[in-house]
Amino acid sequence: MNKKAIVFLLVFAMVIVACGDTTEEVAVEATEEEHDHEDESTLEQVQERGFLKCGVSTGATGFTEVGDDGSYSGFDVDYCYAVAAAIFGDYSKVEFKQLTSAERFTALSAGEIDVLIRNTTWTQSRDTELGNDFGPTTYYDGQQLMGRVADGLSNSSTVADIDGLRVCTNAGTTTEKNITERVGLAGGTIQLITVEAFSEAIDKFIAGECDIVTTDGSGLVGRRAVNDALNDWVIFPTSPISKEPLGPTYRSNDSQWADIINWTVYATIIADEYGVTKANVDSADLEANPELGRLFGANDGELQTKMGLDAKAYYNVIKQVGNYDEIFSRNLNPLGLYREGGDNDRWADGGLIYAPPAR
Amino acid sequence: MNIDIKKQTRVIKENLFSSPVSTLLTFITSYIMISFFRGMFGFATAPDKDWLSVLNNMQLYMVQAYPESDFIRIWICVGLGFIFSGLSVGLWETEEKTSLSKLCLTFSKIVSGIIFLTIIAPTNSVVVSTATGIREQVEVFSYAERIPLLSILIGLLVVFFLISKINLSFNKSLLVSIYLFVPIILLWIMKIPTIQLDSENQRVFPDPLMPIANSTKIPWTLIWISFVVAYLVGVYFKNKKQFKNAVSISWVLLPLLIFSWIFKKPLIDLNELIRNDIPVFIGFLLIGVLTIYLINNKIVEKFYSYYLGFLVVVTIASLFLKVILLVKAALLLLLLFSAIIPAVSTSAKGKRSLTIVWIVSLTTTAFLLEGGTSTTQIVVPGSSIFGGFSLTWLLAIFGTYVSFPLGVLLALGRNSSLPIIRGVCTGIIELVRSVPYITWLFFASVTMAVFLPDGVEFNLIVRVLIVTAFFSGAYFAENIRGGLQSIPKGQFEAADAIGMNTVQKTSLIVLPQALRAIVPTLVSSIITSFKDSSLVTIIGLFDFLTIGRMVIGNQSIPINFIGHDRENLLFIAFVYWIFTFTLSRRSMKFEKRLGLGER
Repeated sequence: MNKKAIVFLLVFAMVIVACGDTTEEVAVEATEEEHDHEDESTLEQVQERGFLKCGVSTGATGFTEVGDDGSYSGFDVDYCYAVAAAIFGDYSKVEFKQLTSAERFTALSAGEIDVLIRNTTWTQSRDTELGNDFGPTTYYDGQQLMGRVADGLSNSSTVADIDGLRVCTNAGTTTEKNITERVGLAGGTIQLITVEAFSEAIDKFIAGECDIVTTDGSGLVGRRAVNDALNDWVIFPTSPISKEPLGPTYRSNDSQWADIINWTVYATIIADEYGVTKANVDSADLEANPELGRLFGANDGELQTKMGLDAKAYYNVIKQVGNYDEIFSRNLNPLGLYREGGDNDRWADGGLIYAPPAR
Repeated sequence: MNIDIKKQTRVIKENLFSSPVSTLLTFITSYIMISFFRGMFGFATAPDKDWLSVLNNMQLYMVQAYPESDFIRIWICVGLGFIFSGLSVGLWETEEKTSLSKLCLTFSKIVSGIIFLTIIAPTNSVVVSTATGIREQVEVFSYAERIPLLSILIGLLVVFFLISKINLSFNKSLLVSIYLFVPIILLWIMKIPTIQLDSENQRVFPDPLMPIANSTKIPWTLIWISFVVAYLVGVYFKNKKQFKNAVSISWVLLPLLIFSWIFKKPLIDLNELIRNDIPVFIGFLLIGVLTIYLINNKIVEKFYSYYLGFLVVVTIASLFLKVILLVKAALLLLLLFSAIIPAVSTSAKGKRSLTIVWIVSLTTTAFLLEGGTSTTQIVVPGSSIFGGFSLTWLLAIFGTYVSFPLGVLLALGRNSSLPIIRGVCTGIIELVRSVPYITWLFFASVTMAVFLPDGVEFNLIVRVLIVTAFFSGAYFAENIRGGLQSIPKGQFEAADAIGMNTVQKTSLIVLPQALRAIVPTLVSSIITSFKDSSLVTIIGLFDFLTIGRMVIGNQSIPINFIGHDRENLLFIAFVYWIFTFTLSRRSMKFEKRLGLGER
């Protein structure tokens, strides 16, 4: 009898424990979580957590790099630092999550990251279908092609000139789609060779397995400079075959959070317009420039407190990270990418980098 | 050195040139192999290959972003591993002797191989642009450069030949310390050019060469010394059975200790420990031990079912109450434990071993909870604390440690005569095996959080470890089941005939034979799980391979390594090869010791 009772109790206990574990508790937790999400804005969650979770690339030269000691640097990484500086007054309060291009949007919508700054192109479908919103464009890129001078290509070549050539590009991205579309329009045919990472495409190009390699212009310029092939390789066409505006991405329907991200970017641009840098931000003449005064929280009319931030938030951004020009030249000039005369120049100099007034 | 030339020629004749077809095949394969080697060598020595991209990123490769101020923890963990290896080598020393001439023969074989490779290596000429911008043709590894190397190697051969005449034999396990000594010495004397940056961030190659691994030579030397000391201690205590048992148990607990040691910050949270964990731990320990020793008492036996019922109610209640996790886990453990006590603790010996099992399992649970869910964790700038080789290694070691016992249990359960146990085990095995590993990884990263009880938040790596343990456990289980089926029925009947119970039959007759039969399969499973660990890149963990492939080829600051990913891939392949090759060689030795395939 005793043994039977024990066995019965044991089975009973297992059943109960199993039920308790899987159904009721999960249900309780799930509702609680939903509750959390509805109640708390992203800003509150971030402030409560004490650090920002920023989604970056697994490795994109100049945009997201991991140094030999595991530290992060790059154009996108600097904007993560800028957002953290605006929220906490301390740029280092960031946890980076390196994402592949396949999982980036899932990670954002699942709440694993607060903001995605991972050279992501702003497109209509991504904006509408995926539950994301895009912030101001921080870098205007465009897809271009790179070929060899020895193949008779030059700066003035067009997509029509690559008819019949072998083209290498990385699979599953918009670049693949763009090139097939453009070549089809020009009435040519190409042999498309797709690889998983861009570095493999370049390796194939160097090895002579393909005649043309194509991706965003920023990547091509960097690789041409590194491989010491300024005279052998040529990048064309002069006006890119696609528009690739890159910028921060965040979840929809949280306008407070969107404002914080957007104005962090705008603050770096406005500071650049006034020539305020990391070095001279303390000696900036805030009396003479009331817009800067408001932005840096020195005057009465400042708006940062209404956004849920510290009045000095954007002062901290410039002080700790720097203005747009500094972020750009620090990360991208070594690769041979310059602002002068390009799309990323100041609006007053004919570029596209423009910020609404801070008032 | 007594190479029997005639015998060797006969072997070569019989195996490689026995017929026209086999002669042709020999020539074709040797041509392919030689040109493969020449291609590889040419690739590796070309001056436009930047091997400094590998050396400069060694820290990234090993630990990714683990904070430098806490490196002492990693050194302690590595040191612990070596100390216990030393102890084990000493304790289980095999008295196998080897002679100097045999050793010299092995070394001269290796040196002759290197000489052959040096002679056939290609001289390639590459166009490089020098610092002044002039392009020039450079010859790499020309024949003139080879002569000093070749003369040194041939000199070595002569030295080996002379030494081999000395009649000297020594213990084989002593060799391990000598083998380990060689890399340690290399750390002190080998030199590589290091990179420095001048004020304009341009690379400068300083003329005085720096010793390799400048920061790691002292810890490694200390580790080597402690390894030798531990070996001697092991030899000294060779005949102490309790010491052997203690070392065995420590091997089981060591990964858990290492795991929590690396994760936690500060090292030990004394306040939390004294206030919560130790009282809970001691309380449950006392209850468990009391139950074990009182069970055969007539009065206590009467109340045993009430006690179990009470335990069931309390356990269920605790799941819904806000108590610390250790209490919940310990209650569940106690419940399971109490259910098996009456069956096992009939003799004094059974009681003793059951007490040990109880203490070990409770400690393990406490450690796991502390290490896995602690809120006081080390913060690193990336999302995960482990990365690089330490992650690969952790997944392989920890996966094997957890999944092997799990596999044994699942295999035994699948062969059980109780339908419930058989059904559950078969279900788990089939469910886990029929879903791809990558899917399980996504499950770990996205879905598992939903299944965990309230207030439990496992780190991503812990979740991956759980999934890995189940996945390789299921494969282990099927391998072990194959071993179980290879045991003839007569063995079971003989065990029954001398009156063994099920536990004795399984642990003394069935498992030893079954495991012995499947050692090769088990080792190949371990190697597979070591290599499979590189799949974790898909959920954003940075293992050894991902760092070389994705990260280093994109570095432009402070030193430009853009595009140098192929060197890193070669390096990674080499490291993987070293580890898997060592593992399979060791397992071949182990098989020989077990006498597999011979009896």
